[in-house]
Amino acid sequence: MSGMIQGGWEFVWAAYGITFTTLSLYCFSLWMRLRADKNEP
Amino acid sequence: MSRERLALGFGLLGIALLGWGSYLGLFVAPPDRYMGDVQRIMYVHVPTAWLALVVFTLAFIYAVLFLVHRSWRWDALHEASLEIGVLFTGLLCIQGALWGKPTWGVYWAWDPRLTTVAVMLLSFTGILSLRHFLDDPLRRASWSAATTILASANVPVVYYSVRWWNSLHQLQSTPKTVNSSMVEPLRINAFGLLFLTIALIMARSWIAESRRRKAMAPPLAKESS
Repeated sequence: MSGMIQGGWEFVWAAYGITFTTLSLYCFSLWMRLRADKNEP
Repeated sequence: MSRERLALGFGLLGIALLGWGSYLGLFVAPPDRYMGDVQRIMYVHVPTAWLALVVFTLAFIYAVLFLVHRSWRWDALHEASLEIGVLFTGLLCIQGALWGKPTWGVYWAWDPRLTTVAVMLLSFTGILSLRHFLDDPLRRASWSAATTILASANVPVVYYSVRWWNSLHQLQSTPKTVNSSMVEPLRINAFGLLFLTIALIMARSWIAESRRRKAMAPPLAKESS
């Protein structure tokens, strides 16, 4: 027993995946809102 | 250079740095002696925490500037900071839960750090909701600025909670307590998220400013037949 937590990559991938997906979706929503705003009279 | 190009430049630089820092954090940095590979969550979790606190501090500054100068520019930046701060704090809670489960055995604990972060998330989400409910731009700006100043009292409490109280959450690390191979991806991701945040605040404030202008525009004259 080394005392080190073994495995856990699924938590790492979930954290990175959720972070980058959320940031991408937010960037996309800003882009859509800016575009809609420009098209509005 | 136009402001759109400047924001795009900051955004692209931020994304590139985040990609590089995350690559180093996931594949190059060594695993932690006790937490193993799970500790790699730190390279996104800590920059998210730093930027959430920075953005809410900015929201406080913009709120004060609006109340002092009554300039709509500060109100637009205030709205942008609130939304991005809430987004980062939501992400922070999810990342923390995913780190907590394999290390603490639970996704959530009512520990001082987690509780103060939850209060921060709920209070600033409430202020954002308040802005959506108020139609009058001046009342919306003034009320939300005042409530942001009140809610901001919790921001330093979040930072110092791990020092003031006996917390399950670890104390802040410094470059002296962390291996240099772990500091590099952390710093790159922090700068990446900082540049991306600048771009997001700029873009979101343009939306807020444009909506406010449209709301305050005089009604069009009726066409005479």
